Amino acid sequence: MKNTKPTFSSFTETLTEAENAQLQEFFSEFDTHFLLSKNDRKQFRADFEAAILLLYKKGVSMSEILSRLALSNLGGFYARPSVMWFPLDDAAKIYPISMDHGSQQVFRISIYFKEDVIPELLQMALTFTIKRFASFATTLKKGFFWHYLDTVKKRFPIEEEHNLPCQPIKVSASGSQSFRLMYYKNRVSAEFFHVLTDGTGAMTFFRSLTAEYLRLCGTSAPLGDIWDINDTPTKEEFENAFVKVEKAKTSSGFVDKPAAQMNGRLTRRKPCRILHLKMDAEKLRAVAKSYGATVTAYLLMQMFYACSASTDELTGDINIQLPINMRKFYPSKTVRNFSMYCGIRIPIEKIGDKEALLAEINAQLLQKAEKEKMREMITAAVNIVSSIRVIPLAIKQPIAKMIYGMLGEKIYTTTFSNLGVVTFPEEFMEHIDSMDFCLGAQVTNRLACTAITCAGIATFSISKMTLDPAFEEKMYQLLLADGIETTVEGSDYYAR
Amino acid sequence: MHVNNTYPKVTKFPQNRKRMLSIVRWPFFAVAAAALIVNLCVKGPFWSIIVILSLYVIWTFVLSPDLVELNRISQTIKVTVWSSILLVVIDLLFVHSFSLFVIPIVCFSGLSSCIVLFFTNLETQKHNMFPLINFIFASIIGSLITLHFYHGEDSWPLIVLLSLSILSLLAFIIVLGPDFKREMRRRFHIK
Repeated sequence: MKNTKPTFSSFTETLTEAENAQLQEFFSEFDTHFLLSKNDRKQFRADFEAAILLLYKKGVSMSEILSRLALSNLGGFYARPSVMWFPLDDAAKIYPISMDHGSQQVFRISIYFKEDVIPELLQMALTFTIKRFASFATTLKKGFFWHYLDTVKKRFPIEEEHNLPCQPIKVSASGSQSFRLMYYKNRVSAEFFHVLTDGTGAMTFFRSLTAEYLRLCGTSAPLGDIWDINDTPTKEEFENAFVKVEKAKTSSGFVDKPAAQMNGRLTRRKPCRILHLKMDAEKLRAVAKSYGATVTAYLLMQMFYACSASTDELTGDINIQLPINMRKFYPSKTVRNFSMYCGIRIPIEKIGDKEALLAEINAQLLQKAEKEKMREMITAAVNIVSSIRVIPLAIKQPIAKMIYGMLGEKIYTTTFSNLGVVTFPEEFMEHIDSMDFCLGAQVTNRLACTAITCAGIATFSISKMTLDPAFEEKMYQLLLADGIETTVEGSDYYAR
Repeated sequence: MHVNNTYPKVTKFPQNRKRMLSIVRWPFFAVAAAALIVNLCVKGPFWSIIVILSLYVIWTFVLSPDLVELNRISQTIKVTVWSSILLVVIDLLFVHSFSLFVIPIVCFSGLSSCIVLFFTNLETQKHNMFPLINFIFASIIGSLITLHFYHGEDSWPLIVLLSLSILSLLAFIIVLGPDFKREMRRRFHIK
């Protein structure tokens, strides 16, 4: 953001004496909130000035502006030295070990407002919100045995979107953050390196950020279950919840046989296209119900058909990875990773009759995504982490990278992650159009799918790694055949 | 199926380092293999080891830099360590017994540069002190072991390196105080 100082000083000349006095009083306490370098303080001040200027031009009174931007929203976060640090949770430990140049586990959540985004207020919303989510205000560091997250106190800048979605986040530089917040027209998007959080944790942050942005825009509403940015964080919010799960007697492994992959050449730029199939959530739910299935099971069924239409393989299994939110089995307030996954595996030759396919999906969901199976998987993950914890990182990193490369994605055909229904208070809903959620680049899989529902619109997103359009065309036809009208939005092809 | 484009036009694509690496890998392998074959044909000392190590140094610094903690201090130390390794190999293969004199000087230069970088930007660099601490400990242990077995007229660089290492370690402990302890706890955690 440009330094607005000259504009701001000329602006103050146009203010009344009373307004100037209010401003002066506001900024008199400013420096005490920032134990940062002069440069950083200057940037923060420029952000405040830009927001004040903008709101004043919009006709908001000075007292209302200063109340919205109250310095108390900063708390003591920027005024204290950064001493906090967070060991990585058991799921996150693999991400920095397995990342490579151009390949990093990144996912993205976006919200579409009814009006264009105001960057000045979005920046302020992030400045105020980040303090509530201290584990997000961190930089990735390398220890002798494990990586960890080290708190960093700085201005986290927003940026205008002009790049490919879900690109790797540069985490190597001193103080570099592991997420990015962007805006484009009426859309705000946050991209997270999985080392920070999972979809649920990211959504908790994103809802608070959205609420704060809308509050700064002048919409107030009771927050309900949205986290108040001015509440004090608790220890439970940063915990590695995996270790709290009681160990199972047996542990289930992560090894499985390779799955059939979709055809289509992998593109150099990944993802090479993002597609969002937007549909009426009620209609989708009704259709799923008519099949006697949940929305997840119904979409999985359609994905199996679309996958089989996108591969030339006549034998082998289609295996769809399904992340499972562990919070539903083990209630936890953690905003760190706390999800496991299961694979819904069906032989290609058995993908025929809808009823039989859906029965098989439901049976596998019941059997594989249940609490005890997940507990066995968590036990396996915790045991692996625990058994290698005293091996220096320099030794375990290349070995773990190799094993992850061998197993990794090859046992899955694709991934489907459903974040479910996202709600906001009624007053906020009036300003929200829809949301979407997408996954970043895959190494072997040709695409990754996600779903999210907000404001009555269900969005099924596809991150593509191939130009082959078979999957999305089939998916579109299948939904249409079931009477679900779909609007398709997305990006252009980034690679030809 | 009509797609409404809701994404900005991308004009500048990020560098595809992965692809570049997959292409550059082969000339690197070819040069390394050629050096080894020529070396075996012409016989003599194993100079091809130096070629291969140098190629690896170029690879790790220029083409495939660190993905975590790529900062001035870590890179200066990396340069110092690799220079020392190359000097040891050259010493073993060609010019004998100069490394005991030269390597402490190289390490001294590396350590001095890092200390200057560290103390001129303490607030930022205190989060990057781990490679430096490792290097200091390695210098102390290395100097002590070498001095135990070898004590000649030309061993003064070792004594200078040892002194600088101990002094800088003390400076860290005094200047950083609790931060030093906290940093060590983070870096060596097994949670």
